[in-house]
Amino acid sequence: MNPESKDEPVVYQSVVLKNAAPYQYMKVCLVLEDKSTKVSAVDLKQFIITGLKSLHGEVGAASHFDVLKYDEDTLTAFLRVSTIGLVKLWSSLTLLGFYNKQSCAFRVLQVSPFLLSLTGNSRELELD
Amino acid sequence: MSVFMDLNLTFSADRSNMQQIIDTAAYLGFSTVAVNYTFEPSIKKKETVPSPKPVEDLIDQLPIVQGRSRPIRVLNRLTLVLSELSHFRPNLTEYANFDLLAVQPTTEKLFHAACTQLEVDVISVAMTEKLPFFFKRAPVNVALERGLAFEVSYTAAIRDATMRRYTIANAVSLVQACKGKNVLVSSAAMKPQELRGPYDIINLCSLMGLSDEEAKRSVSSICRSLLLHAETRKAASGVISTKKSCGEKPQQQEAPISRNTGEGDSGEGCAPAAKRLKSQLTD
Repeated sequence: MNPESKDEPVVYQSVVLKNAAPYQYMKVCLVLEDKSTKVSAVDLKQFIITGLKSLHGEVGAASHFDVLKYDEDTLTAFLRVSTIGLVKLWSSLTLLGFYNKQSCAFRVLQVSPFLLSLTGNSRELELD
Repeated sequence: MSVFMDLNLTFSADRSNMQQIIDTAAYLGFSTVAVNYTFEPSIKKKETVPSPKPVEDLIDQLPIVQGRSRPIRVLNRLTLVLSELSHFRPNLTEYANFDLLAVQPTTEKLFHAACTQLEVDVISVAMTEKLPFFFKRAPVNVALERGLAFEVSYTAAIRDATMRRYTIANAVSLVQACKGKNVLVSSAAMKPQELRGPYDIINLCSLMGLSDEEAKRSVSSICRSLLLHAETRKAASGVISTKKSCGEKPQQQEAPISRNTGEGDSGEGCAPAAKRLKSQLTD
């Protein structure tokens, strides 16, 4: 298991990273009943925090997450959350049902420990 | 791997709403949905059991399920809200029109009867109120042996914060009683915004105390084994069955019936339906 030695042939080493992913990345889309409603990035984050607080209380709202990118036209956001907070954040997104008294739903499109994986989605590929 | 199913979409007479709900379910990746008709029998008024609307009347064109390139399957289901045991008439021909039969017991006695005697597929647990009784291990175990499933629906938790408390509390006590086995999670959605994707539900199940594996089973293979259970309920002792001669549905569900030569409700002594049929799921 020593790759440095020169007279031996190349030795491969398998590297196993335990708990390697510090963050999980989510691509979420907010679906509103009235499609013309505008939601700013600040509103979105505030809305998610409200959801976290109502489901998990102050302890839940303390778990940290970031909105990395947000597209106001499609209401699609990239969220980054620490791995331990994923289940809490995701479940509170699931149970969010009303935005300003109109019914809404968060569609979680993709979840991945790697931000790069969110760039492609084979489910939306259209084959000719 | 089994496909995802949502065995409870609330029926509404509004055709466009129904269409939207089924479209959303297909978009989210549910391969099979069941349209639910709720019926509360009573002695005073002689009400008739609702008859299911044919699928063609509900929806114009069946949407294609995301990621599977085949149209969604739409079934019918009847939920009986029981307040007295005599209200359940076991041999009613109207029940045969439905693909699935569920009961929602309101008292402990009825819950016991539903678990041990009634010829049904699903025992629905009320999520909109504090549970008036405890789940006892003994009847629950009998129900598990008979192949019944307990249903938890999550839409109430989305609508209201108080309901959310009841939903989680009732679901946790149910999961404790049946140790995570045969718990079915469905939506009971009335609007497309109330539906959630299968992986959202699997994540949500961790709040109810289900493990990841059990959670995934609760939206996929348990639903499948329930549908097979419903088929054997209609068949005479699980040996002779009458088939609807429409579509490709019977072909898929014929094999398990001929194998199950025991009692109508999940032959005792052999493996549970969910296990036995796994090899056929990879279509």
